Amino acid sequence: MGYDLPRADPGTAWPGQFATALRRVLPVATVILALLGLWEGSKLLFGFSDQRLPHLAALVEAMFTPIQGGTGPLLLVQMLVNAWATFRVALGGFLLGTLLGFGLAGLFLRVSVLERGLMPYVIGSQTVPILAIAPMVVVGFGRLGAAPWAAKVLVATYLTFFPVTIGMLRGLRAVSPQSLDLMRSYAASSAQTFWKLRLPSALPFLFTSLKIAASASVIGAIVAELPAGSREGLGVMILYAAQFYNSRPPALYLAILAAGLVGVAFYSLVALAEHLVVGTRRAE
Amino acid sequence: MSIVPIIEFDRVSKIYPSGSGPITALHEVSLGIAAGEFIALIGPSGCGKTTLMRLIGDLEQPSAGTVRVKAKSPDQARRDRDYGIVFQSPVLYAWRTICKNVELPLELMGYPRQQRHERAMSLLRLVGLGDFSQAYPHQLSGGMQQRAAIARALSFAPSILLMDEPFGALDEITRERLQLELLSIWAESDPRPTVIFVTHSIPEAVFLADRVIVLSPRPGRVQRIIEVNVPRPRAFETREDPRFFTLLTEVRECLRAMEG
Repeated sequence: MGYDLPRADPGTAWPGQFATALRRVLPVATVILALLGLWEGSKLLFGFSDQRLPHLAALVEAMFTPIQGGTGPLLLVQMLVNAWATFRVALGGFLLGTLLGFGLAGLFLRVSVLERGLMPYVIGSQTVPILAIAPMVVVGFGRLGAAPWAAKVLVATYLTFFPVTIGMLRGLRAVSPQSLDLMRSYAASSAQTFWKLRLPSALPFLFTSLKIAASASVIGAIVAELPAGSREGLGVMILYAAQFYNSRPPALYLAILAAGLVGVAFYSLVALAEHLVVGTRRAE
Repeated sequence: MSIVPIIEFDRVSKIYPSGSGPITALHEVSLGIAAGEFIALIGPSGCGKTTLMRLIGDLEQPSAGTVRVKAKSPDQARRDRDYGIVFQSPVLYAWRTICKNVELPLELMGYPRQQRHERAMSLLRLVGLGDFSQAYPHQLSGGMQQRAAIARALSFAPSILLMDEPFGALDEITRERLQLELLSIWAESDPRPTVIFVTHSIPEAVFLADRVIVLSPRPGRVQRIIEVNVPRPRAFETREDPRFFTLLTEVRECLRAMEG
């Protein structure tokens, strides 16, 4: 029988750390460089015009060009301000959706009749295209006099609660019968079983869902910003840039890039939280 | 047994429904087990030995007959925390350190932090895991994980220890070592818990038990109860004792007789 615990990697001195860091950064850097190469290469190879695919340099230049004919702030600043607005809406939707997903999963776990009754509607809600629902919600809320952000948050929530409900429910049920037997033999209450067994063992499942929800909430936020009357957010930026694509193509690319970056940033935050919460554990 | 039994089965049957009709796992089993006894349950697979253990622990309910534990219903005994259970797999919680795993029952039972930590540590030392209290389950070998599971079952000093093939997944060398350790822990406990040990290993049953209960194939009934008159403390040498061999043969022949 082995009494040896896995020891720390001997290479924790700086050369080792440097190598580890390099191993992490290198693939990312390679992919970015390859993409940039592909971009410029395809322009060269297929002769895409600047109108169809602007030079990377043009994108960078556009970033540092003041908007409103040179009198406003830099386009980059405007992008950041709007990305932040989208991020806030997405975060609000994410939190609300997670809460709703938690609630539904907990409810379905306790009362399985409710699961049979309500699950079809939960699933059905996700087959309705968000593009169809978003304007209804946004316009409807506007008529009711609610703050514009409230409707947007709701649309983001709509996309988030589903993966959380499904993942959480699956996680809460993924406990072995024997660990439930153990809890029973300790005469544990159902609340104790939930907090000490079901919830912790559901966390890996939950985080998988939260990652999906993080990206979905950004999509929800952007879609909710598209209907006429919206004033801020990347959705507005994308619409606006699309309108003026003929005169200023780089703006649309930048808006799309910004939307992608917000999604990645959100996803990374959830991944970081996952690392902090379940990082130390491994499968039994 | 002349002593008042701590566990009593009175014509207990267990029938499971199944797609191809009901299956009788146990048929009118009656037996008594004395306090502090070490009982091994053995029988061919599917004979209901695990079911019998689970009926004691209130993890299942009899279809007919009554089970009494300490003159109470198994349900009441479970609520009184009379049972410590060890399964074939250690069932340690991956997100808790070994120490926190052993503390879990005490935590649920509302012991103060300091007290449960001290109790867990002393049990971990007892099973030889004192240096691994802060490790996570996946960092330990199978034998060590099972030791932790035993420490956890003992943490709240239950009067009855239910063990369902606890060493079944271990290699032979580890298994024999843990058998010895289990016996010494059991012998040193005051009062000694009553142990119900389910196994399909004949040497394991004879080596550990005061009495070996042999169950018949489905429907399970008590085929024979064999008294193990090998003196305690039992040691490594016990396995070479002629009386040990005689008993092994007796159990083996009893099991084989049922096959035909």
